[in-house]
Amino acid sequence: MRAMGTPVLDEYPTLFRSEAMSLVQLFVPAEVAHDTVSELGELGNVEFKDLNPDVNPFQRSFVGEIRRIEEMARRVRFFSAQIDRERDPVPIRPLYDSAPLIAVGPRAAQTIDDLDVTLSEHESRTLEMNSAYEVLSGRLAELIEARHVLRETAVFFQRAEYNQTGIRSSFDDSSAPLLQHDDRENQYSAPNVQLDLEFVAGVIDRTRLPTFERVLWRVLRGNLYMNHTDIAEPFVDAATGSSTYKNVFIIFAHGDALLAKIRRVSESLGATIYPIDANADKRVDSLREVNGRIEDLEMALFNTGSTRRAELAKIGESLLSWEDLVRKEKAVYETLNLFNYDVGRKTLIAEGWCPTREITMIQLALRHATEESGTSVPPILHELRTNRIPPTFHRTNKFTQGFQAIMDAYGIATYQEVNPGLFAVITFPFLFAVMFGDIGHGTIILVSAQWMIFNERKWARADLGEIFGTFFYGRYIILLMGLFSIYTGLIYNDIFSKTLHLFHSGWTFPEAGSGIVHAEPNGYVYLFGLDPAWHGADNALIFTNSYKMKMSIVLGVLHMSFALCLQLPNHLRFNRLTDIYHGFLPQMLFLQSIFGYLVVCIIYKWLVDWSKSSTAPPSLLTMLIGMFLSPGTIEEPLYRGQGFVQTVLLLIAAVCVPWMLCVKPYLLWKESQRVKNEGYAALGGDDGYSARHEDLEGEEEGHGGAIAADTDEGHEQHDFGEVVTHQVIHTIEFCLGCISHTASYLRLWALSLAHAQLSEVLWEMTLAPFLGADDVLGIIMLLFVFVMWFTLTVFILCVMEGLSAFLHALRLHWVEANSKHYEAGGYQFKPLSFATLEEKE
Amino acid sequence: MEALFFNVDTGFLEGIVRGYRSSLLTQGQYATLTQCETLEDLRTQLASTDYGNFLANEPSPISTSTIADKALKNLVDQFNYVRSNAVAPLNEFLDYITYAYMIDNLVLLITGTLHKRKLTELLKRCHPLGWFEGMPALGVPTNAEELYHTVLVETPLAEYFRDCLKVDDLDALNIEIIRNTLYKAYLEDFERFCQSLGGPTADVMGRILAFEADRRSINITINSIGTELSKEQRARLFPTIGRLYPGGNNALAKADDIDQVRNACDSVTEYRGFFEGVGANGAGSHGDDEGAAAQIEDKFFVEEVNLNKMAFLQQFQYGVFYAYVKLKEQEIRNITWISECIAQEARDRIQDYIPLF
Repeated sequence: MRAMGTPVLDEYPTLFRSEAMSLVQLFVPAEVAHDTVSELGELGNVEFKDLNPDVNPFQRSFVGEIRRIEEMARRVRFFSAQIDRERDPVPIRPLYDSAPLIAVGPRAAQTIDDLDVTLSEHESRTLEMNSAYEVLSGRLAELIEARHVLRETAVFFQRAEYNQTGIRSSFDDSSAPLLQHDDRENQYSAPNVQLDLEFVAGVIDRTRLPTFERVLWRVLRGNLYMNHTDIAEPFVDAATGSSTYKNVFIIFAHGDALLAKIRRVSESLGATIYPIDANADKRVDSLREVNGRIEDLEMALFNTGSTRRAELAKIGESLLSWEDLVRKEKAVYETLNLFNYDVGRKTLIAEGWCPTREITMIQLALRHATEESGTSVPPILHELRTNRIPPTFHRTNKFTQGFQAIMDAYGIATYQEVNPGLFAVITFPFLFAVMFGDIGHGTIILVSAQWMIFNERKWARADLGEIFGTFFYGRYIILLMGLFSIYTGLIYNDIFSKTLHLFHSGWTFPEAGSGIVHAEPNGYVYLFGLDPAWHGADNALIFTNSYKMKMSIVLGVLHMSFALCLQLPNHLRFNRLTDIYHGFLPQMLFLQSIFGYLVVCIIYKWLVDWSKSSTAPPSLLTMLIGMFLSPGTIEEPLYRGQGFVQTVLLLIAAVCVPWMLCVKPYLLWKESQRVKNEGYAALGGDDGYSARHEDLEGEEEGHGGAIAADTDEGHEQHDFGEVVTHQVIHTIEFCLGCISHTASYLRLWALSLAHAQLSEVLWEMTLAPFLGADDVLGIIMLLFVFVMWFTLTVFILCVMEGLSAFLHALRLHWVEANSKHYEAGGYQFKPLSFATLEEKE
Repeated sequence: MEALFFNVDTGFLEGIVRGYRSSLLTQGQYATLTQCETLEDLRTQLASTDYGNFLANEPSPISTSTIADKALKNLVDQFNYVRSNAVAPLNEFLDYITYAYMIDNLVLLITGTLHKRKLTELLKRCHPLGWFEGMPALGVPTNAEELYHTVLVETPLAEYFRDCLKVDDLDALNIEIIRNTLYKAYLEDFERFCQSLGGPTADVMGRILAFEADRRSINITINSIGTELSKEQRARLFPTIGRLYPGGNNALAKADDIDQVRNACDSVTEYRGFFEGVGANGAGSHGDDEGAAAQIEDKFFVEEVNLNKMAFLQQFQYGVFYAYVKLKEQEIRNITWISECIAQEARDRIQDYIPLF
C-alpha cells in the first residue's frame, strides 16, 4: 500500500479507483506569484499544503494584503446590506452580465487600487447620504409626532369641554330654569377651563407606556390625570429599518414641582415632550405651521431618498463583480500565505497535491500566467516522491456525484481503493426498487425526477432551500429509483395495488361456483412477472410472501458476495497476497458454504415441480437449522446425498474460522521475527528504502526540511498484541455478521410487503367504494375522493414510504455491503478552486 | 439523586455552557494575542478563535471600546440564549446572576445623576444584563425613600433595598453604603436560595459565594480605613456569610490599618497569600493603602478565576452557569486589557492579564 512510487495511470479517468495523485513543488518568482495562484484557482486542480503551520495568522507574509481585501469585503457587505434594506428592490446586475474585473497581469495592482478607491468613495457617499437622510427623517418624525400630539390633544380638549358642561348641567338639572342658567354657566366655564389646565403632552414608545404610567403614579402619589391614545401608523427608523409604535399622552397635574417631576420622568423614560398651548386658536395655528414644515421636509426627504437610491442603483450595477473579485483575491492571498519564501525572498515555494494526469494542464496554466504577467521567468513545477498517503479524489459528474456523496457520507475511500460509489449507481436504486416495486408510484417518482432534470439549468443557480435542495441534488438518484421501481413493479405486477393483464394468464378460474373456487392451469405460462391471476386470490399473500422472502435472501447473498469480491482488486493493487489467501478466501468460503448453499437450495426448490413430486416440499428454514444442530441427519430430504454435502459444507465453514483467526497474525509475527533476526530493528523493508531515498532527494534540492520532516508519518510499529486483537474482532464480526447481515436483507421483503399492503389499503378505503357510481353526486364524490387518494398516494406512499425505502437501501449499502470490503480511511481532496468558493459561503 | 433527573431539564443547557467554556481563550491563544503589534493584528488573531468574525463588520481603524463592546455582546447573547431556554429553578438561578448587575447599574445611575451626567451617556454604560424595567427613571428621585417607591418597589431589588431606607440624601458616601447594603442582602439571599436547592449546587455555589462575601468584607474594610465611615456602620455592611464570618468579620470591623486586616484574615489559609508583600513594607500612609488594595484586588481576581474553574469539575449543578458568566467576564477584561496595552503601547504591562485556562 505504501509502495506506490509511480502510480499506474489508467487511460481514462474512472470512478473505479480514485485519481492517481502527485505531490508537486512549485518555485514561483515573487512577482508572478499572485497571477500563478489565481490561474491555478481558476483551474481548480491543486490542493496546497500549509508550509508554515507554526506561524500565527497575523505574522504571515501577505497579511497586509488580506487586511486590505477584508476591508474591501466589509464595504461590499455594507453595500449589499444597504441594498437589501431598501423597501423597493434595487436591481442588481447578475454576474454573467457584468464586465469582468481583471486582477491579473501587469495592471492588476492598478485595478485593485482603483477598486479600493471606488469602494471607499461609494461608502463615504452612502454614509453621508444615510446620515443626511437620518437627520431629515428624524426631524420629520418629530414633526409628525408633534402633529399627532396637537390633533389628539385637540380632540381631548373638546371632549373635556363637552364633558364639563355636561357634568355641570346634569348637576343643576332639577333645580333651576334651564336656558338662562346654562348661558351664564357657559360664559364662566370657558375661561375656567383655560385657567385650571396645567399639563404636559408628548409621545412615548408604546411598550414603555405601562412602566411610564406606574412610575408617574408612584412619583406623584396619584395626583395626576393621564390620558393617552394610540398612533395608528408605525414610526420607521431610517437607520435600522425597524418600526416602533408610539402613543400620544397628555398628563394633567397641579403645581410647578409636580410638572417638573413629570418632565424629568418623561425624559428619563425616553418620551418626547411637545409644548402645547392651552389656547385652542394657538393650537390651530401651530398645527398649520407644523403641517407646512412637514410638507417641506417631505420634499427634502424625497430628494435625498432618490439621490441615495440612484447611488445604490449605481452600486448595484457592479456589486456582484466586486464581490466576486474580492472573494477571489482573498482566496489567492490566503493561499499565498501557505507558501514558503526561499532564502533570498525572491521566490515562493509551494507544495501541493494534484491529480497526476493534470500536471500538463497545470504546466500550461503556469506558462499562461507568466505570459499574462509579462515577465520572462516562469514558475517551475516538479514532482516530489513521497511516502505520504495522497488525498482521495473521485472525478464525478452531475450524474454520479449524488451516488458518490452517499458513499462519501459513510467515509472517504482510502487512496486508490475500489470505490463502492461506482457500483452504488446501479445497486442502490435496485435495492430501493425491490422495496418500492410499483409501476404507478415508480412513474410518479420518475416524472418528478424528470421535471427536476428538465429545469436543471435554471434551478442549479437558484437557492432552493434545504429540503427541496436536497431532493434536487439527488435528482439522478431519484430518476434511476423511478426507473427501477417501474421494472420491479412489472415483476410484482403491481400498479397502485392493481394488476396489469399484459399476457395470457396461466390460470383459469371456473365460470361459476360458490364457496372456494380453485383455478386450473390452462397450459400457458405468464411471460414476465407475477401472473395477474394471483391478484385477489385467497392465498396471494402466502405466495408473494414466500416469493419475496426467498428473493430477498438470494439478492442479499449475491450483494454480499459481490461486495466481498471487491476486496480482491484492492489486495492485488496493494500487493497484499496474504490478505487474499488468509482473508478473502476463508471469508468467501464461509459465506458460500452456509448462505451460498442456502441460495442454491432456494433456486433448486423453485425449479422442482412439487405437485408431481413424491415427497412434500421441505422447509428450507428447518433444513438450515438442522444443518447446524444435527449435521448428517436429514428429516425432509430435498435431494439425494444431502446429508453428506451438508456435513462437508459445515466442516469447511468450521475450518474457515481458525484460518481467518490465526494465520495472518502468525505470518506477521514470523516476518517480524525474521527481520529482527537479520538485525534491522523497527524499520520495515520497503518503508526504510523510500524514506531514505526521499531524504536524499530532498537534500539534493537543498531544502530537505519540509519533506523529511513528515516521513515518519507512515511508519507503523508492528505491535503484535494489537494485530491479534484486531484479527479476533474482525473474525468475530465477520462470522456473526454473515448471519445477521443475511437476516438483515429480509427488510427487502418486509418493506416491499408493507408498501404493497399500504397501497392496497389506501385504494380500498378511498377510491374503491366510489368507482361504480353513475349518478351526479357519485361522480362529484368520485372526483373529490380521487383528489384525496392522489394526494395521499403522493405524500404517504411516494414521499414517506420512498424516504423509508431510501433509508433502508442506504443501510444495506453502508452496513451490509461496505463492511465486507470498504476501508474508508482516506481524506478528501480539497483543491483551491474559485468555482467552489461561492458554494462555501 | 440529582444525577438521575438533572439532565431532563438542564442537561441540554449544561452541555451548551460546557461548550461555551471550551471556547474560552487558552494560555496559548493569549500568548499569541500578546504578540500582536496593532489592534488590526488582534482582530485577525481573534478571528481565528471562537469569537470568529464578530468584528468583521467594524470599519478600520478599530477602537478598544468596540472590541470590548462586541465581546460583551457575545456574552450577553450567550446568556440570553441560556436564560430563554431555562426552566425552573434554573431560570431563577440565572435571574439571581443578573441582580448583581442590576445593583451596579442602579449605583451607576444614581452616582451619574448626582454628578449631573447625561442620562443617555449613563444608560450606554449600564451593563446589559442588569437592565430592568423603569431603570432609566432612577435619575429622577432625590432620596432613598423616593428611589424605593418610584422605581425599585417593583423590581427584584426591592427586598434588598429595605435596609437602605434609613439613608436620607444621596451623597457619595451614602451611595456607597447603599451599594454595599444591597450587595450584602443580595449575597445572603443568593446563598439562601442556593442552599435551598441543595446538592452539589449548594456546595459549589457555597464556596464561590463565601469567597465573594469575604472579598467584599475585606474590600469594604480596606477602603473605609481613614474615612468618615464609623466602625459600627462598617460592621453592618459585612455580609453574614463567608468563611470569615463571624470571627474574622468582627476583627475586620475593628481594623485600623492593613496589618490588622491581614491578621483578621489569618484564620483562612487561602486568604493569607493575598497579603504577602503588601503590609510588610509598613502600613500607614494613605497612598500605600491604595496601592495595596489594587494588588489585593488582582489576587482576588486570580482566586475567583480559580474557584470558578473548580466549579466545572462537578457535574449536575448550576454552579457552571454562574462560573461561566464570571469567567467570560474575566476574559473580556483580559482582552480589553491586552488591547488597551497595545493601543497605548504599554507593552511592558501586557502580561498582567489573568489567564483562565
